[in-house]
Amino acid sequence: MLRYMLKRFAQSILTVALVVLAVFMLLRLMPTSGYFSREDYVTMDEAARTAYLRTLGVLDDPFTQFGRFASALAGGDLGRSITVYPRTPITEILAEKIPYSLWFGVAGISVSMALGLLLGVMMARYKDGPTDWLGTAYVVVVRAVPSLIYLFLIQTAASRLLGLPMIFYADDVSSWILPAASMALPGLAWYAIWLRRFMVDEENKDYIKFAVAKGVPRGKVMTGHVLRNAIVPLVQYFPTQVLLTITGSLIIESIYSIPGMGGLLVYAIRQHDNTLVQALVLIYSALVVAGVFLGDVLMALVDPRIKLSSAPVEREAA
Amino acid sequence: MMRGKTENAAAARLDESPVAPGGLLLEADGIEIGFTLRGRHLSAVRRASLTLRAGETLAVVGESGSGKSVLAKSFLGMLDRNGRVEAGSILYRGADLARFSAEKDWLRIRGRRIAMVFQDPMTALNPLKTVGAQIAEAAILHRAADKRAARDIALEMLERVGMTEPARRYAQYPHEFSGGMRQRAVIAAAIACGPEILVCDEPTTALDVTIQAQILGLIKNLQRDLGMSVLFITHDLGVVARMADRIAVMYAGQVVEEGLAREIFYDARHPYTWALLASLPQLGLKGEELFAIRGTPPSLFKEIKGDAFAPRNPMALEVDFEFEPPFFQVSPTHRAKTWLLDPRAPRLEEPETVRRLRAKFPQGSIQGGTR
Repeated sequence: MLRYMLKRFAQSILTVALVVLAVFMLLRLMPTSGYFSREDYVTMDEAARTAYLRTLGVLDDPFTQFGRFASALAGGDLGRSITVYPRTPITEILAEKIPYSLWFGVAGISVSMALGLLLGVMMARYKDGPTDWLGTAYVVVVRAVPSLIYLFLIQTAASRLLGLPMIFYADDVSSWILPAASMALPGLAWYAIWLRRFMVDEENKDYIKFAVAKGVPRGKVMTGHVLRNAIVPLVQYFPTQVLLTITGSLIIESIYSIPGMGGLLVYAIRQHDNTLVQALVLIYSALVVAGVFLGDVLMALVDPRIKLSSAPVEREAA
Repeated sequence: MMRGKTENAAAARLDESPVAPGGLLLEADGIEIGFTLRGRHLSAVRRASLTLRAGETLAVVGESGSGKSVLAKSFLGMLDRNGRVEAGSILYRGADLARFSAEKDWLRIRGRRIAMVFQDPMTALNPLKTVGAQIAEAAILHRAADKRAARDIALEMLERVGMTEPARRYAQYPHEFSGGMRQRAVIAAAIACGPEILVCDEPTTALDVTIQAQILGLIKNLQRDLGMSVLFITHDLGVVARMADRIAVMYAGQVVEEGLAREIFYDARHPYTWALLASLPQLGLKGEELFAIRGTPPSLFKEIKGDAFAPRNPMALEVDFEFEPPFFQVSPTHRAKTWLLDPRAPRLEEPETVRRLRAKFPQGSIQGGTR
């Protein structure tokens, strides 16, 4: 197990390094005008621009640049933003923004996981009943209707009905409720429908019938066998989902004016902020890779058939 | 039929008095089981009757779709959600199981009174739970005071079904077991609560022949040691010959012949039983094509007129197509549902292959039927 994890860890580092290298090299193909803020570009003449680019080091061989980036990274330095937050260290930007996205993300995922799994269990338990019908209707609406529509509806109608603020204020706890609830909606639908589906799958298996034949009450069969086994295919995704909450939500953060991470990458790309883009790509890809890795470990913990070592399962004859 | 709540409560009270070996333990009478499939009604079991005596092995034989499995499942309330017992009674210890509907009632029966072993041991155990936990699970529900006692029972059961190092086996997962060992574990879980009746639904069909023999031997030994009655569902007459004291032959949802094992093997009276016996590959002659029953069983979606086997029976009488035959008693223990036994029927010889059976398997090679 430990050996496997070390091996996987090394592979993960390599994967992230390759992703970052690829993005880094692609960014070097972009026009150099992206390294200037608008005013600077207009005010500088050609010579001043070249001099500035030289001080940035972006005229050097791309591999030399990557080496510099990597060694700075080893010291915990992600560089400075160029155009989005001119000359601000990226670590500072992240330290300020990540907490907002993280807290809303974690709140959203906690609510969606708790309620979504509960709804999924109820839908499977009372399949074809009113709970199942309503749950399915909810899932269909959330997944089929463009999210902007119901998110705006929540922001306008729900804020009026419940008397909650329409905009996020860091020092007003009541203003956190609507965005957190909005964050939870799609996840809730996701957990409910997949758990229902896997539970219904499990319910038709022979070992469930055998458990019933042994005299295990239905409630116990549902929790001890059906739910227990249906959760397995889902746990793989839990770590990724939790880790990726720090990327924030573009729509929710913008409609509630939350100064989080949502949309930062898109914005950085549009503004040609190369250092910010490569820093974000590094972080996001590291999170995805770590999420997949942790998901595999979790799977191995909940499913005894999965062995994380290469030793074959020994099976003994009758 | 109306089934009131008070009626159920009364029905759930079980008579605890001991039943002497050979005494009537379970009596299913006129059972009709129907399923609703895409809005259509299917009669899987049509007025089938069956008796099970204490300590005996009753084999229910018939081809796929004859209703043997469905009938047995109704004894544990294990019919699929779209199926139900529509008529008849299943008397067991003074209670009518056919009237059970609440889960509470069935929990008094399942596992602790009537247990079931499934066909495919590869799928009958939860892959994510240890074998031991799955055996102890049943014990803790009905028999054991606490988890430790349940564990002790599970260990004892593992040993009973012939596993060495039960403590190690207890902690293993099903995927670490071979098919034969899994079936032993399934049997251990089924008998963990000391049931009176063990329903075995084709327990060896999914196993290879050598393992099959071991499992059959195990079931026989357990039955003897624990004094259980075994209801053995199979389509394999070789297995029947080895296991059964009595045999019930089912066709198209009905029991068509019932008798002691030797009566069915050596003195069968129903043309369907003849055809089944004639299909034994062991009876084939070199150079001659093996016997097979022509045609297919009737659709159970439709009302069946007359004898259900008549269309496939080359010896069918005219009356078979018009009227359903009643049971005719051949001996006190042997009865068959065929017009051939009517005094007015023409005297028909049983087919040549069935006579060959007697020559090939002399009395005594049928292991059951000793009772």
